[in-house]
Amino acid sequence: MDEKREQMDWVAAVEVAGEKPPEVPPHGPVVWARENLFSSVGSGILTAAGLLVALVFFKAMLGYIFGADRKWDAVATNLRLYFTQAYPDDQYVRVWVAVGIALALTGLSAAIWRASGRVNGYKLGGWSFGVAGGLLTMLVLSPFSWGARLIYLILALVFVGTGQYLRMSHPKIEVPALSVVVGVLAVLVGSLWVVPYGRHTFVNGEVQPPRPGTVAMTTKLPWTVMLLVMVVAYFVGKAVRDKVSPGLSKGLLVAGWMLLVPFDYFVILRDPALDYGQVFRVDVPIFLFFAVVGSALLWWLSDPERGEIGRVVAGLMVIGAGVFWLAAAFGLSVRQIIRIDLLLLSVVAVAAPTFTGEKAVRRRFILGWLILLALVNYMAMMVNTDSTVEVPGSFPLGGFSLTLLVATSVLLMSFPIGLILALGRTSKMPIFRLLSTTYIEVIRGVPLITILIFFKIILNLFLPDGMSLGNEMSAILGYALFSAAYLAENVRGGLQSIRKGQYEAANALGMSTAQTTSFIVLPQALRAVVPPLVGGVIATFKETSLLFIIGLFDFLRIGYVVVGGQTAFVGSQRENLLFVAFIYWIITFSISRSSVQLEKKLGLGER
Amino acid sequence: MTGLEARADMIVCEGVKKWFGDFQALRGIDMTVEEREVVVVLGPSGSGKSTLIRCINRLEVHQEGRIIVDGVELTNDLRNIEKIRSEVGMVFQQFNLFPHLTIMDNITLAPIWVRKKPREEAETLAMELLDRVGIPEQADKYPGQLSGGQQQRVAIARALAMEPRVMLFDEPTSALDPEMIKEVLDVMKELAQTGMTMIVVTHEMGFAREVADRIIFMESGEIVEEGTPEHFFTNPTEDRTKLFLSQIL
Repeated sequence: MDEKREQMDWVAAVEVAGEKPPEVPPHGPVVWARENLFSSVGSGILTAAGLLVALVFFKAMLGYIFGADRKWDAVATNLRLYFTQAYPDDQYVRVWVAVGIALALTGLSAAIWRASGRVNGYKLGGWSFGVAGGLLTMLVLSPFSWGARLIYLILALVFVGTGQYLRMSHPKIEVPALSVVVGVLAVLVGSLWVVPYGRHTFVNGEVQPPRPGTVAMTTKLPWTVMLLVMVVAYFVGKAVRDKVSPGLSKGLLVAGWMLLVPFDYFVILRDPALDYGQVFRVDVPIFLFFAVVGSALLWWLSDPERGEIGRVVAGLMVIGAGVFWLAAAFGLSVRQIIRIDLLLLSVVAVAAPTFTGEKAVRRRFILGWLILLALVNYMAMMVNTDSTVEVPGSFPLGGFSLTLLVATSVLLMSFPIGLILALGRTSKMPIFRLLSTTYIEVIRGVPLITILIFFKIILNLFLPDGMSLGNEMSAILGYALFSAAYLAENVRGGLQSIRKGQYEAANALGMSTAQTTSFIVLPQALRAVVPPLVGGVIATFKETSLLFIIGLFDFLRIGYVVVGGQTAFVGSQRENLLFVAFIYWIITFSISRSSVQLEKKLGLGER
Repeated sequence: MTGLEARADMIVCEGVKKWFGDFQALRGIDMTVEEREVVVVLGPSGSGKSTLIRCINRLEVHQEGRIIVDGVELTNDLRNIEKIRSEVGMVFQQFNLFPHLTIMDNITLAPIWVRKKPREEAETLAMELLDRVGIPEQADKYPGQLSGGQQQRVAIARALAMEPRVMLFDEPTSALDPEMIKEVLDVMKELAQTGMTMIVVTHEMGFAREVADRIIFMESGEIVEEGTPEHFFTNPTEDRTKLFLSQIL
């Protein structure tokens, strides 16, 4: 301790000695330009050449996008088709509820994880200059009318003024980054109410000539509500975050995010027609049986005194559940949910010895089982109930919503499969290693499109009688199995970066292999591979457009085939594709930005 | 430290042999460590000191001979290994703290999940141990934010949190800057005074002389000489020991 105090005295002494204020190094835009753009003759030439190329490129690009002969009406009129295809009007509120749940989770998460990034006035001013620069570039390079140019000029001057004001008068003030984001969103949503974007509609399939004025109420009202939902959720989260344990609230939110996609799709968007007689006659009794018998069994298994016999019982149950599944192939017909519940119970039973301990620990373990069982049974019931959404095709979603559904489901499914494959491939047990390696190498050797076609044509032949997966579901399954192989290789890279000492330290503390893997190895391995994992997420999202080829109505097909085929908008194919590309870019760019934030945040615990 | 009362044997090695491929690292080690005894293992690098103590908690597997820890023989039975590991604490040269967990979580993880202690109890114990190694204020930091000496003291606290019967130290000060060695050795001295059974592999002759009850000198995978520090440093009998001491002192 004394050493430390001495050290601090020494630092203080140095600070007192340095009475002369430090000199400011040369700075300013001219210095910056000289050092970075024109540091030598060669770099000056390269700068000028690069600038010229950029000018020519943007002039061509902007000239094209804002050219007088562009027909953006095709996009503006078909926005709903682009995003949800033919989702019926009278059930459309379900789409907004689905989006609203996601935004509410976003708001809550921002509060619970204390998104506390702050931006100072100097930086804000810089951003303001950036926006002004963009506007001025647009104004100079685009083929605008003089009236439009004037509006752009005024806007640019406002941004220059704001930037200058912030930099000169308030360079040190700090505002939460969140409020900047919400502010920008509020301006965008607010503009729906005041800016005359024009109204583009169909009536009975006939395109109406665009009317002046602001957008329709069915657009601006939901978006306003969505923004409010997000903000309110944030403040709710802020109010409760100090009253609940952070572990619990974060756990609940993570669970919420994982359940979001299946819940939004199966429960909200499909609008399942529940038969309550059937529910109370069959589903509830099955659930209650497994709840009571399963809890009793797990209570018995998690007793610290149980010892070896517990593992034997759990092992026998796994084998039993497996045989029960196989028996289905030989004609033993039993409700699918009973098989699922039995398998679930046996897997949880295997984990039981890990959760032995005090009565309170065991009670939490049983509670976890009941929640898991309830969720699985509820979702299985919803999945097995028919949809009431009537659309031309067999699938309620299409366009961007289908793309999003496929991408998120694929990611959700491929993550656990990929983890297991990666652990299998690095396992000490030869049989697991062989199986995982074979799977990964086989899948990686086959093109994605082949797998998609294969699953579309062949999968249903392998399924038991009376069970069939739609094209969409088999595509999701095939794509998930494909991307799991790539994900496994990324995770394996992370696993290999863990030093031997970490395993040794965990072993020396008496931790079991399962404990070492889940508390020590995986958390570090996943952190190490965040950049390639995000790369994988982006690739997965973009490559959903291959669904086009197997005939699904994904975002690209809606743009290229459906909107492109409308007789009212002949010749607007390029606009359609530009719009599709732009939306893809917005999503992938945001993923990539948030991954940078994530890396920064995780970096703290690393050092 | 040499009490006259009979003490139980804590660790017994009988004819322990270990090969890495064709290279024989241990050539038949016979050694007994009694309860509350502090044994320092010396020897040139590559002499098998680290391998020996790593065999005692089965981080390395010996091929021949017997190792008995607290009456339980080390075999391939997983139950035995995990039981012994949770009773034998180990401190490594490279600390091997878990970089993604706070100091508090580093210390409480194993007591909670291996010893099945309630969290509150584990955290109270962790704070007591951090107090004992002199860094209670660092509990919420991450290992990367601590100096090497502080990290090694956390590693000692982490091992002690399992309430082990034996502590193994594998060159605990070799990776430290000189000014941090003393703070770690002080903690180890204090631990020895409380009666912990310890086996220490080290190059710190001062520590060996002051704290050890017995010194074992190893070379080429064999025990060459063993005895009290006084005997070892002032009156060694073997030529190889004399040569080693003349190179070091």
